[in-house]
Amino acid sequence: MAENQAEKQNAEEPIIICEEVNKWYGNFHVLKDVSLEVMPQEVVVIIGPSGSGKSTFIRCINRLEEHQEGHIIVDGIELSHDVRNIAAIRSEIGMVFQQFNLFPHLTVLDNITLAPRYVRRMPRRDAEEIALELLDRVGIPDQARKYPGQLSGGQQQRVAIARALAMQPKIMLFDEPTSALDPEMIKEVLDVMKELAETGMTMLVVTHEMGFAREVADRIVLFDEGRIVEMGTPEHFFTNPQHERTKLFLSQIL
Amino acid sequence: MKRQYDDTFFYIAPSEPPPSRRPPIVEVGPIGWLRRNLFSSKINSLATIFTGVVILGFLYMVLSWSIRTAQWAVVYNNLRMLTSGTYDRRETWRLEVVAGALVFLTGLGLGIWARVARSVFIAVLVSLAVIIIVPIVSAYIPEPTIHILLRPSKTPPNFVFVGLAGQEVTVRLEPQTDPADVDAPLLGFVEQKSRVDWSTLARQVHDGKADLADYNMQFTLRVLDNRLRPLMTDEGPVQAVFDAENPGGTLTFTLPADDWYVLEVTRDDTSEPVGYAWLRIDNVEVFSSQEDLAQRRADRFGDPPEVDNALFAEEKAYRFEGARSFKQFLSLQLAPLFSRLAVPLLIGALLFVDGWVIGVLGKADKRVRRGALIGWALAFPFSIIVLRGFEGSRLLPLVDSGQWGGLLLTVLLTVVGITASFPIGVALALGRRSNLPVVKWTCTIFIETVRGVPLITVLFMAKLIVPFFWSALTDIDLTVRMMIGLTLFSAAYLAENVRGGLQIIPKGQIEAARALGLNPFLTTTLIVLPQALRAVIPAIVGQFISLFKDTSLVALVGLFELVGIVGLIVKGQPIYRPYQREAYIFVAIIYFVISYAMSDISRRLETSGAGSVRRL
Repeated sequence: MAENQAEKQNAEEPIIICEEVNKWYGNFHVLKDVSLEVMPQEVVVIIGPSGSGKSTFIRCINRLEEHQEGHIIVDGIELSHDVRNIAAIRSEIGMVFQQFNLFPHLTVLDNITLAPRYVRRMPRRDAEEIALELLDRVGIPDQARKYPGQLSGGQQQRVAIARALAMQPKIMLFDEPTSALDPEMIKEVLDVMKELAETGMTMLVVTHEMGFAREVADRIVLFDEGRIVEMGTPEHFFTNPQHERTKLFLSQIL
Repeated sequence: MKRQYDDTFFYIAPSEPPPSRRPPIVEVGPIGWLRRNLFSSKINSLATIFTGVVILGFLYMVLSWSIRTAQWAVVYNNLRMLTSGTYDRRETWRLEVVAGALVFLTGLGLGIWARVARSVFIAVLVSLAVIIIVPIVSAYIPEPTIHILLRPSKTPPNFVFVGLAGQEVTVRLEPQTDPADVDAPLLGFVEQKSRVDWSTLARQVHDGKADLADYNMQFTLRVLDNRLRPLMTDEGPVQAVFDAENPGGTLTFTLPADDWYVLEVTRDDTSEPVGYAWLRIDNVEVFSSQEDLAQRRADRFGDPPEVDNALFAEEKAYRFEGARSFKQFLSLQLAPLFSRLAVPLLIGALLFVDGWVIGVLGKADKRVRRGALIGWALAFPFSIIVLRGFEGSRLLPLVDSGQWGGLLLTVLLTVVGITASFPIGVALALGRRSNLPVVKWTCTIFIETVRGVPLITVLFMAKLIVPFFWSALTDIDLTVRMMIGLTLFSAAYLAENVRGGLQIIPKGQIEAARALGLNPFLTTTLIVLPQALRAVIPAIVGQFISLFKDTSLVALVGLFELVGIVGLIVKGQPIYRPYQREAYIFVAIIYFVISYAMSDISRRLETSGAGSVRRL
């Protein structure tokens, strides 16, 4: 698998480094010695059964969850209790949630411009210009003045992607972005993500969409019981899995 | 048994779906609504009819009492007290200036930031029209009869009244000789003492202790002008002689000018007078006893003539007896109220429309918007300064807040209570959810303590106990202490309402905000609070409405707000003692109108902006 990454690694440093990350919820050991390095522009798809810790893991990367042991270094900044570090990292990481988490009291346009205006202190006009471009990019240029409640699930999730992109992040985290969608709307969201991957965005995607993983991922990571069980290219994963757990998982979902 | 593959097993829909049709006619429209909601079952129909009868019966009772019997003079003669309490009479213009400024700002604000619903607009317009039209129309409604009892034991009065040129007045003298006369209902104004004597007599006649059959009184009626000269016509002086041959009769005359007149009644008895007679005067106005109007009357008619044994055609000397007709209700009760309200309301409406038009036209102009904001920001200090004034100032002499009363005080307590308790309540709610234990406990203890005691004890604390512990507070005047008490009380309840709103905000909202890089302060102010507060608008406004009504409790600690002032009015003017009921009903109507307006605004707020969309 190392050869396949060779072109992208070149002289570049990994943008995300996780070393021996451990996390507990009370006495429950959620993440066990998780180590992962992600290169710039790499698309990593994380799969695994429910409760395996994959969501918790990517939420640790922008500090929505705190890890208790190990190191997470994002773009050269180590995540610690230092509030300034967290703020700096969060503005470089965009996140898309399973439940969209759009702000229902704000219009689509306000949802997207909120963070640029208040965190980046961007003038309203500039922020709206960027927002409209992003809405165009995710394919819903005509919904800017509506409220989230007036949109379909697929449209809402695309707004959520646009909202995350408005901060011009270096990394995008996707936490099961299509799991709450009707089957007819999954494709429109996946298409936007695919397009995003093609532009060279670094992406960590937790998903159950095997078709997407096979087509878009540079690397697939299988989580089980809080640890990484197997990691490799989609080709390796789908044609030549090594670990028994991987074989079992794939046999159950394919 | 397995199903056979017959023709009904397979089905393929036509490529076009069928067009949508209208629902059956009995299911929609007013008939459908009635069927579904009021007469859907036997029990529902019975309930509808029963409730309908009860409601209509109640309405009939209330309306019939207000129109036929109720005496609203206590209200329309005390509007100044009801609006501003014992506020210095010469300084009430300051109140008008403040009210005018606020009305203008309201119009401006609504013009810029809101839409005035058409229904509200029409309702206001119609009410204004009614208030203006009723006094005009009622000028054409005949005045009710004035009754004065002529008794053997009393010198007949000289009846003093005002009249207009061309007004035709009829005076009837009716000896009461039939025992059945005592039971004939009186309809119109009856002179107070006559009323008492007549009912005493009626009782005696019923008991057989008195007899009406004998009557031998003789009178001469003359009409004098304001200099007590007899009114002359072409045929001589206006007069009527009612002697033994013709004991009763009518005197009709037309007044030559707008002036004071005296109906002189002289007794011409030749022997010891016996019997009773009603003097009935038609088409003479009973004028208001209100001091403010006395000046206006003097300006128009000059000073009243000085005459012995005078009985003025003045409200306070009479009481209305019998069931009023609707016309009389309009002219005697509504018209005086409305004629006093018409001018201030009209000016208010003009100011409002001015502000509104400026707001609508200047919506896009930054200067107009900024002006409105500055205006609102300054409104409160401006109002307080103008209302209170300065010690020693000539233009704005000090009017101590202890003199503020009536609606003014009620509104002031409410506005201060709302604007101060809202931020405190939000802060307490956030504090109670804080991660810092000290903050959390302090807020919790405060909230639970205040919620655990009745408001009246908080107010008495503010009045009596706090200054006892902390003597510096004794100097703060009572009104301000009541404001603080009400504010803290309301804040504690508000905090719990807001906390309820905070709890329903999904965790995902906060995570999304944090993931976007918003700090905790921005997350709270931009994401959490707007949603939490919107969700609990009904509860918050409910709290504000109850604060508004609870201000009436300050009457118990010695401030004369809307409820307290009624007691003061009745105490100061004993003639209104029988009519406290009317005064309290009027006060209740004011409370209802303002409360209803508040809850209506709350409903509009709920459904404005994002509220019109179903929640995520």
